Amino acid sequence: MEKQRRAFLKLMGVGGAFTLLPTGLAHAAAPPATDDRAVYISASAGDKGDYYVSAFNAAGKILFEQPLPGRGHDIGLRPNHVDVAAVERRPGLYGLILDRHSGDVRAKLHCPENRRFYGHAVYSNDGRYLYITENDFDHARGVVSVWDAVDGYRRVAEFDSFGTGPHELHLMPDGEHLVIANGGLHTHPDKDGRTPLNINSMEPNLSIIDRRTGNLVHQAALKHDWHKLSIRHLDVAANGTIAAGFQYQGDLTDQVPLVGIWQPGSEIRPIEAPDNVQYRMRQYCGSVRFDASGQVFGISCPRGGLVTFWDAQSHDFLTHIAAPDGCGLTATNKAGEFVGTSGLGNGWRMDAIRRKRVELPDDSHKSLHWDNHLRRIQV
Amino acid sequence: MFSKPSWRILLLSTSTILGMGLSAPMAYADIPDENYRPVLTHLLGNVMPSKLDAFHEATQTLGAEFRDFCDDPDKDGLDDTKTAYHNAMDIWQEIQPWRMGPMVVNGRDQHIEYWPDKHGTAGRQFRKLMFEKPAAYTDPEKLAGASAALQGFPALEEVLFADDHGAQMISADEDGVYLCQYGTAIATNLATLSAELQAEWPEFAAAMQEAGPDSMDYPTAKFAATDLYRALHEGLLIISTQKLARPLGENTEDARASRAESPLAGRSLRNIEHNLIGLFAIYDGKWGDVGAEGHGLAALIDSSLLNRSFKLNWQTVSDTVSQLPPSIAEVLEQSDGYEQLSDLKGQIEFLTMLVENDVGGNTQLGGGFNALDGD
Repeated sequence: MEKQRRAFLKLMGVGGAFTLLPTGLAHAAAPPATDDRAVYISASAGDKGDYYVSAFNAAGKILFEQPLPGRGHDIGLRPNHVDVAAVERRPGLYGLILDRHSGDVRAKLHCPENRRFYGHAVYSNDGRYLYITENDFDHARGVVSVWDAVDGYRRVAEFDSFGTGPHELHLMPDGEHLVIANGGLHTHPDKDGRTPLNINSMEPNLSIIDRRTGNLVHQAALKHDWHKLSIRHLDVAANGTIAAGFQYQGDLTDQVPLVGIWQPGSEIRPIEAPDNVQYRMRQYCGSVRFDASGQVFGISCPRGGLVTFWDAQSHDFLTHIAAPDGCGLTATNKAGEFVGTSGLGNGWRMDAIRRKRVELPDDSHKSLHWDNHLRRIQV
Repeated sequence: MFSKPSWRILLLSTSTILGMGLSAPMAYADIPDENYRPVLTHLLGNVMPSKLDAFHEATQTLGAEFRDFCDDPDKDGLDDTKTAYHNAMDIWQEIQPWRMGPMVVNGRDQHIEYWPDKHGTAGRQFRKLMFEKPAAYTDPEKLAGASAALQGFPALEEVLFADDHGAQMISADEDGVYLCQYGTAIATNLATLSAELQAEWPEFAAAMQEAGPDSMDYPTAKFAATDLYRALHEGLLIISTQKLARPLGENTEDARASRAESPLAGRSLRNIEHNLIGLFAIYDGKWGDVGAEGHGLAALIDSSLLNRSFKLNWQTVSDTVSQLPPSIAEVLEQSDGYEQLSDLKGQIEFLTMLVENDVGGNTQLGGGFNALDGD
């Protein structure tokens, strides 16, 4: 590996926020792409309590809008297949399998009565199994359900998530393990299904399970002083590095890290931005995404209206770009480049290396409120 | 002071008026982005710099008083120093809720005032300091690199108001001499911190005022103004959830004045009184003899009825605070003290709700699809 080197670009932003060029990307950064033929897909909302899964192209032109029975959250992409999975956000009851080209409904998933979907789903690499995080609310226990896509999306198994309030999950690079962000928050549908009932006793963790047996392989938690940091979202780089974003359930003025990096088998390493950026993150992270190189990851902070960028190798904060109400975030196929969406209807292409933000030119995507997560389908 | 029924009746009455006037569903047209810019210019460019000047001047005076006192310690000198502490603290408490830009860079707000100290760090470190009496902590420059808990107003409060420190400084015994040197270093360091704040503010204010699509920090004036709205909203939340909730505890038996802010100086409620002055300036645009009424966030509100109602409600709460003793300990000693503080907390929570619903809604600064309801 090339020896660590950091090039200080320039002081940017207000009050000392600065951009560092991550290791090895000095020549990789590219101007905003005009040849991106990918499809971007996300849950969205209209102005009248109407919810959709919507897709747009790199210019921001809407390709389809598929109405949903309730508010969606993330989209799971079935590898080498037209299926995408839209699971209702917590406490969710439905899951829809949609055609990624048209949005047409191909299958419906129904949550068991004693479970609730938690908004995130991921497929196995062979596309056969779909894994969904759920709440076993009567036992304050997180579970991961397994659905067989080849057998009409039949629910075939259920694993323990080894924590409470599981949220985002990802396949590890070996394709055989799942990493789960157990947010630690217990909720119950009888009490609106969203209000945390255990803030003082919450115990979030990151857990890795065998996707075939459900056995726990690794687990890590933050130190007890930080037990109110709900570990909610994560992404996994090709080398197995896990980046996680936290949502703090404590006081506004508490000084806590909001980002962590985990190499399974070791402790979660908390990292922080400079104070003036850390403060603007408002104790809350939304989406987490690695870039195409696996070296840079972005974390959106919708309450602060920022997307923050970090170097996964050096663990340095790189820079931030303002993104009012921005939360959806996905990587393009270029190092350091991301596309982000906002609840205000914006779509941006963002370059973490050059610290640039360009609005997607087509206005059609601006009629929607883009929900928390955005996915990119390579064409 | 206002009794509970009176403020509730007043608040309800204004809410009822509003309800009558505004009960029909309203569709708000988007406020043009340019309308936010004068508010930014007024609050950040005109009003705040004067207050930062005043804060710096007050900390300089505090340093000078401390040095004078320590040169020839006596009771009058101690009283003058305490007065200078209160004057500086009054201004700090007014600007404290403006938590943005240079206020939070390098943990500056925490260096000025490390609070809340949930783990009693300051007390522990202070005891160790007095045991070892390291010379480095009497040097303002070296102190600036020390733990935040040993810098700033709470540390100075410990020196000036705790135990028999005043008597020790007057008697100039070994502890007293060290306390004098350490206290002077804290006051000098506070003047340095306030000077940094004063110096860095204009660049931050300019960036906010020049918000636009090319800015990676503030792409619209509205987005920049959101920081002001949040300061107002969060400032009230901090008063209710920390400055009042911490000393109140779970119930009367659990109440502890020592968990309040500035308990030794006996000014926990005086702090809140000054917080409210600084916070109201964000809304109104007038801050003491600085600024002009109606040029803060209120400039974005197109309903004079709502504006009057909000100001009336704020005045009610301010009156409640100003009619209470400055010390929470003193209030808790009264037979109905706990109820009075709980009542004040309720009033602050009501104001917070008005900020969320009325100010946030009418200025269009309080929304956010993902910001308000993410997962």
